[in-house]
Amino acid sequence: MLWSKKMLNKQQIEKLQNFISQFSKEELLWLSGYLIGKAEEEDGGAAPVGTAVVSKITIAYGTETGNSKKIANQLAARAKQMKVNPKVVSMEQYKLTDLEKEEYFFTIVSTHGDGEPPAAAKKFYEHIHSSNSNLPKLKYSVLALGDTAYPLFCKTGADVDARFQKLGGTRLVDRKDCDVDFEPEANLWIDEVLRKLSTSPSSNGTAAKVTDKKKPSGRVIYKGKITANVNLNDRGSKKETYHIEITPESEAHYAPGDSIGIVPTNYEADVQAVLKQLNTIGSDFVTHKGERYSFYQLLRTKLSILQLPARILTKYAALEKIPIEIKGSYDLADLLYSFPVKIAKGNWQLLVDILEPIAPRLYSVASSNAAHNEEVHLTVARSAFYKNGEKRYGLASNYLSQLPKGTDINFYVQKNNAFHLPADDKDIIMVGPGTGIAPFRAFVAERDARGAEGRNWLFFGDQHFKTDFLYQTEWQNYLETGVLTRLEVAFSRDTDQKVYVQHKLKKQSKEIFEWLQSGAYFYVCGAKEPMSVDVENTLLEIIAEHGSFNKQEAEDYLNDLKEEGRYLKDVY
Amino acid sequence: MAEKKNLSPIEKIKEESDALRGTLKESLQNEITGALFEADKSLIKFHGIYEQDDRDRREERAEKKLERAYSFMIRLRLPGGLMTGEQWLATDDIATKYSTGVIKITTRQTIQLHGIVKTDMKPTLKWFDKFNLDSIAACGDVNRNVVCAAHPKQSPIHEEIFQYADKISTLLLPKTRAFYEIWLDDEKIVDKKLEEDPLYKDTYLPRKFKISIAIPPNNDIDVFANDIGLIAIIEKDKLKGFNIAVGGGMSSTHGNVSTYARVGSVIGFTETEEKTLKAIYEIVTIQRDFGNRSDRKLARLKYTVDKVGLDWFKQELENRCGFALQPAKKFDFNQRIDYYGWHKNHEGKWYYTLFVENGRICDEDGLLLRTALREIAKTGKATFRFTANQNVIVADVVEKDKAAINEMLKAYKLIEHTEHRTGIRKNSMACVALPTCPLALAEAQRYLPSLITRIEGLMEECKIPNDDIIIRMTGCPNGCARPGLAEIAFIGVSPERYNLYLGGDAAGFRLNKIYKENLDETEILNELKPVLQSYVSERNKQETFGDFVMRKQLVSA
Repeated sequence: MLWSKKMLNKQQIEKLQNFISQFSKEELLWLSGYLIGKAEEEDGGAAPVGTAVVSKITIAYGTETGNSKKIANQLAARAKQMKVNPKVVSMEQYKLTDLEKEEYFFTIVSTHGDGEPPAAAKKFYEHIHSSNSNLPKLKYSVLALGDTAYPLFCKTGADVDARFQKLGGTRLVDRKDCDVDFEPEANLWIDEVLRKLSTSPSSNGTAAKVTDKKKPSGRVIYKGKITANVNLNDRGSKKETYHIEITPESEAHYAPGDSIGIVPTNYEADVQAVLKQLNTIGSDFVTHKGERYSFYQLLRTKLSILQLPARILTKYAALEKIPIEIKGSYDLADLLYSFPVKIAKGNWQLLVDILEPIAPRLYSVASSNAAHNEEVHLTVARSAFYKNGEKRYGLASNYLSQLPKGTDINFYVQKNNAFHLPADDKDIIMVGPGTGIAPFRAFVAERDARGAEGRNWLFFGDQHFKTDFLYQTEWQNYLETGVLTRLEVAFSRDTDQKVYVQHKLKKQSKEIFEWLQSGAYFYVCGAKEPMSVDVENTLLEIIAEHGSFNKQEAEDYLNDLKEEGRYLKDVY
Repeated sequence: MAEKKNLSPIEKIKEESDALRGTLKESLQNEITGALFEADKSLIKFHGIYEQDDRDRREERAEKKLERAYSFMIRLRLPGGLMTGEQWLATDDIATKYSTGVIKITTRQTIQLHGIVKTDMKPTLKWFDKFNLDSIAACGDVNRNVVCAAHPKQSPIHEEIFQYADKISTLLLPKTRAFYEIWLDDEKIVDKKLEEDPLYKDTYLPRKFKISIAIPPNNDIDVFANDIGLIAIIEKDKLKGFNIAVGGGMSSTHGNVSTYARVGSVIGFTETEEKTLKAIYEIVTIQRDFGNRSDRKLARLKYTVDKVGLDWFKQELENRCGFALQPAKKFDFNQRIDYYGWHKNHEGKWYYTLFVENGRICDEDGLLLRTALREIAKTGKATFRFTANQNVIVADVVEKDKAAINEMLKAYKLIEHTEHRTGIRKNSMACVALPTCPLALAEAQRYLPSLITRIEGLMEECKIPNDDIIIRMTGCPNGCARPGLAEIAFIGVSPERYNLYLGGDAAGFRLNKIYKENLDETEILNELKPVLQSYVSERNKQETFGDFVMRKQLVSA
């Protein structure tokens, strides 16, 4: 305030305050970077580079998309300009025992949908949380990447930040949490880090240039139309798996292996159930993330009102001064029925403020731009469960499965660099039961379109041959044309003894090992448990048996495959 | 000898099949498809099985990116159409486990199960084998199920004649062990000489081959619709021998004038069992050697007979037999019916002929037909005989058990069901057609019952509600329900459209003729109504509908 008084007159201050009142916190932070960039432009060049007192730093990154690596390299490049020697390392490659020796340690890490660390950061994350080692030398800072569309925004970064402090580390620069449009925040963070590393903290280091000319680094939202929506399971099946085709207005840039993010909307009935408990039609206006909506519209399209997490129940109890802990599984309507609203009655903003946005759901893309006319195909299992004896469906899969042809839909592409096709001449083995088949449909279609000469071996499984053989006729065609070299199927409910994909792997163990030995890539997609665990165990058995290895050697072999990027999983 | 050039592709498949084995084992092991490899689709027929698919589901499954809903029809070899109660129970069990649940009585006195998926075929056939039932040669280019006059009351020597069905079936059975190897896991034959087949050789017959045995005066089995028809000649309650008719057959092809239905021609009489069986055997060898192997539409014995001429045919047969046929004996047929209700044979055993609409044994529309037969089978007090008109006879019930069986029939409303149906319904017959038969052009068994109801309305209007008129419907012109010998026949040409044929006689001597083409239901009823009306007002005493149509020259003779 004092500073501003010296710099600006009262009128200017008022104008400024008036102007900035419309921005959210995130927007203000971005703006600050923008202004620094502006100031530098007026200076006519980059700010002077300071000289660092620190000689070396370590930058550890962990994401699936490659964004964290990009930022790590930016930080490294600019550190080098300051004569700081940076070591850039992926978290999965990082030698955990080195941590105690670290002095300057910078972490760039993303968070997955449910607040989980990305696969690449998992080992690191688990290590620091299970280790009690003392890190008194550690000076650190964390840049957290995330997506405000998810309730547990940047949770992994926050956890790492808190944990380092607990282990005795010193926070050099406050953590910054980035949304999908991460660059402004990331640049601010880099600036601050470099400032701390330099001899003259007042020199400001180099400021980020953020100008409106720059291409946004954030998420590209594509518009498209549903052009097909078919339940692939035949009558009599216990499952509903939808093949959904989206024709985007402009080509969506994705590669087989990537995912498609979609934000579902709530069902009218569920919204009405909430409004009924509140005894309102929801026409009042409320604010959410800086935008005005009718209460109804907000509930219908933005806020998660089903299966509320415990943290919201706690917040609601606090809001309504309910003296007991609310426990159990509640949709918002159930909660309002069991604990009628009093304090927030009529002041819906209070209620809105404790609710969380509907999180986007990610689905592996089941198509290839090259093979499918730039369409986007998804394979979506409509998940069903019972609540109080009543059949209910999962929000997103239900939403998608019921979209009629011609519906407009927005989506974005979530890169998954850790699950892409290898070079055309490499052989691949794909294990994808159930909807795990989706990326492999994309793989095989892409390889067909490219005329890739590598061999393709697919393992698929589901409940029944007659009703659940997803994309059966397509696989038959690929077998006939030779694109698919081999196909093994396991239908678990057709025989007295349940047969799963791992049993089929085991049956082919000699040849699987031969393929691996000759450089094949091994992909697994589908349920994390028990499927991917069973498959991995079977794979270890195969390696041990045919490589004449003991258990440890087999594990080493598999780890080598992982390190070479030849054992790839996309499991959920 | 048969033309060697331009052989039909099936001939090559047979020849290269390693005695009907083909690649059936590999086909069964393939997990990617519910179908068989192409050549095996033809070969499996020789094992009594057809690959089919649910045609109702084709479009929807294609949209779901699923292949057609393939399944298999298994038809039993059941000479003369007799099953023990235990065999019936076994059939009922397996039908529940693996098939659609409908047990279908065919027009050739056997039963078939539909909807069995590829992986369930072996267990089904193994199960049947436990009860001495098999499906060998029930389909394919071989002698099919041998049919015999169904009702034991037809003659005191019915049993003796009935034995011929089994003897002929055994005589003409292929020698290959393929069936046992593929379905029953028997070890593979090493010494190929053991299955050398002097009758069928490598290529079997040019086409299917059908044999029936009739006991006058009832022609319930349509003896003239068969490649070989045997007419039992009985004098003073003794079987003297058989008149032999050759070259009957119903099938034709729409738009192919070279094809036609034909009634069998009686060529002579054989006296002893030895000579009768020899004659049958050599008729088959003549067809084997002279039948058309290029065009399967012209491959039945009827075309061979017409090609070489009856005189030459008979001469060749006598040459091959080494004896001359005797002149045919006098015989007469005056009816072509199933004896519905309770009847007794000469030994005092009782038989209840039960009306089964289109041969479908199932629990449907409140009639628990399948449950009833199951319960009756459980008593162990009856056997089951199937008629060539797709009905079932609860058979061989001794006097003291009759009351109990009658109570059961009553309790399940089967007596009411049988007695209260009109003559035209009880005399009607339809083939399977849609959705499983790949040949069907139009509905048959799913549609005929409702059409009969409409025709019953017409009969009611004409005040002849109880007249017996033989009505038959097939979904294509291949003739499975023997439409050529009906007084009124409907042969499907396209969905919901039929050609209308009139003028068969009551006893099955005369073929009907085409009356109108390409009719939908409204047109059918509009066409039938005036004919029925004039029949009522202008018929002679005792004149049957078919005879009336011919006398009035409503169709060209």
